[in-house]
Amino acid sequence: MSRTILSVRGVSKSFGDVHALKDVSIDFHRGDVVGLVGGNGAGKTTLLRLLCGLYQPTEGEVVHLDKSGIEHPVAEVRSNLGVVPESTGLYARLTAWENIRYHSRLNGISDKQAWNRTFRIARELDIEDDLQRPTRGFSRGMRQKTALIRALSHDPELLLLDEPTGGLDVTSARKVRALVRKLGEEGRTVIYSTHKLNEAEEVCDRIIIIHNGTLRADGTPAELMGETDAPTLEEAFVRLTQDASREVETPEPASKFQQFWSRLTTRVRKPPGNGGENDA
Amino acid sequence: MREGMARIWTVASKELVDFVRDWRTLVALVLVPLLIFPLFFIALPLFMQGEMSELDQYYLDLEVQLADGDELPDALSQPFADHRLNQTVTTLDPNLSNLSDTGDDAVRIQNGEIHVILRLRSSQSNSTESWDYAILYDATQELSSEARSRVFNVIEAWEDDIINATLAESNLTREEALDPIHWDGDFGQANVATSAQIAGFALSMFIPMIVAIWTASSAIQPSVDLTAGERERGTMEALLCTPARRVELLYGKWLAVATVAAGSVLFQMLGLLIAVSFLLPADTFGVPELSVGAIASLLLSVVLFAVFVVAIELALAVRAHSVKEAGTVLGPVVLAFIVPAMFAQFVNLEGIEWWWFVAPVFNVCLAMREALLDITDLTHVALWLGSSLFYAIVAVTWAAKQFQREDLVESIS
Repeated sequence: MSRTILSVRGVSKSFGDVHALKDVSIDFHRGDVVGLVGGNGAGKTTLLRLLCGLYQPTEGEVVHLDKSGIEHPVAEVRSNLGVVPESTGLYARLTAWENIRYHSRLNGISDKQAWNRTFRIARELDIEDDLQRPTRGFSRGMRQKTALIRALSHDPELLLLDEPTGGLDVTSARKVRALVRKLGEEGRTVIYSTHKLNEAEEVCDRIIIIHNGTLRADGTPAELMGETDAPTLEEAFVRLTQDASREVETPEPASKFQQFWSRLTTRVRKPPGNGGENDA
Repeated sequence: MREGMARIWTVASKELVDFVRDWRTLVALVLVPLLIFPLFFIALPLFMQGEMSELDQYYLDLEVQLADGDELPDALSQPFADHRLNQTVTTLDPNLSNLSDTGDDAVRIQNGEIHVILRLRSSQSNSTESWDYAILYDATQELSSEARSRVFNVIEAWEDDIINATLAESNLTREEALDPIHWDGDFGQANVATSAQIAGFALSMFIPMIVAIWTASSAIQPSVDLTAGERERGTMEALLCTPARRVELLYGKWLAVATVAAGSVLFQMLGLLIAVSFLLPADTFGVPELSVGAIASLLLSVVLFAVFVVAIELALAVRAHSVKEAGTVLGPVVLAFIVPAMFAQFVNLEGIEWWWFVAPVFNVCLAMREALLDITDLTHVALWLGSSLFYAIVAVTWAAKQFQREDLVESIS
């Protein structure tokens, strides 16, 4: 049986002049709970989108390996993938259950199977009474929980979670962390993007630090602290990322006309996968 | 294939449920199209009647300018008073080149000093009475126009009386003198077209345009909501992570929007049918009687047009990063459908060239016109059907291509 479930091989991703990821190679193993840690604009969201096949790499490849070791493009094995984007992506006029059912149907799961699974996880997360309510009035925490159930409703082997405890209160965040640990113990692979180093240390077997689009470190929390001779994971993170600064080419000074034209035509949008609330 | 169809249906049914639960969408796409014509046919006459009776209540100032030596005829004085005209009589300026020469009086009317001026000068003829006249007024002022209308009505009635009196002196009736060649029988009876055919003809002059305008405009909001709206709300990313292929997601959304747009148009047609059946006076026109083929042709042309328009609007909305951006793009695009639809109303169907039936938008509008006139020309049907299908396929393919864009996952929110 192949231990590796997902392999990122020499992947670079650029959006025009913005190099979001540079030559990243990582193997994700079955049953691992992997923390993806990095600052704003580090490239975590871009990596997550590459992992679920939403982006195609500019260079390199991302492949999914089945248990026999046969490689598949990620886009072809999405039924084996559960994703919780940071925005949660719930439809306000549908109930929590309808949101979950919509995705489970697209995953080819029967409503009965999806309901049984949904109800079980909802009880673990304490929102079983809210399943028939429209998500319009849901708190951030309830939205996160619903999105998590939706990602699990088709029983995927691989989970990609983007800030799954963002906006949750202490008790709810603890329940989500416990659920993630349990999923890891069940043999599922969880890739867990987070800002919170203590959370990553508590939940993850392995931590990957991304900074300025490059892979800075990959190991257990103890290995990272040992490698940097740091007393805490936070200190290790700071030491691993402080020396790096984004290489910025000094642009040629623009003429007055260019400045005027730029002001007229520049769109108010962030570069894909960089900064903003979608990123880590 | 079966899985793909199931996913398309899953997306379409979810979108339709989402529409139905939004009362604003229901109002905009069901209630408004259904009620617009009935309300129009009830409210417009009532409104116009109300406005006219409001104007009727005003007492307006009339100055009658008479040539030196002339007196205001008795036949005018009382009717002017009956028409709520406050009359003053003055002497006509003898230096005017003709009675329509406004001279200094233009300023008085424009200032509102007087609403209307009637200039009268007796003239010589073999009639019992003969007068030259002119009515000075300001067409841009409602009260001045109203005053002119009242004066004109009184003058017409007075003229009728003079004509009758002149004819009576010669022992002639009005019919003998003015209508020596006259129609025998019922004028309407001589028209071989049935009332249903007349209704079809009348409706063919504006239904295609309404269908084009309404289809294009009713598809905008759902197209934007299902693409740019999803991007803005962040629901698109989660959706794209499912095993559903992007083209399946697009087809599902497209099916939902096309259903909503076509449904909205059909509701509007239903409203129009109710209005012409029950609200219009009996002597205007009735309900067209269409053959099964014509009805099928009409429905098919509406559906194919909806397919074409929705695909284009979805493709354009997909390219936008926000609802605002999509709205800005799609607003002017509607004109691209409306303008040809307007021109299509004036194309002569007699001896029409074949290429009209392959020109986009024109083809569907002309197909609807022929259907309403119950004209079945198989060459035309083949041309508009084939070309509409071709345009629909091209538009859907383009939309599918737009849906493959990598930046679909991003939004500015």
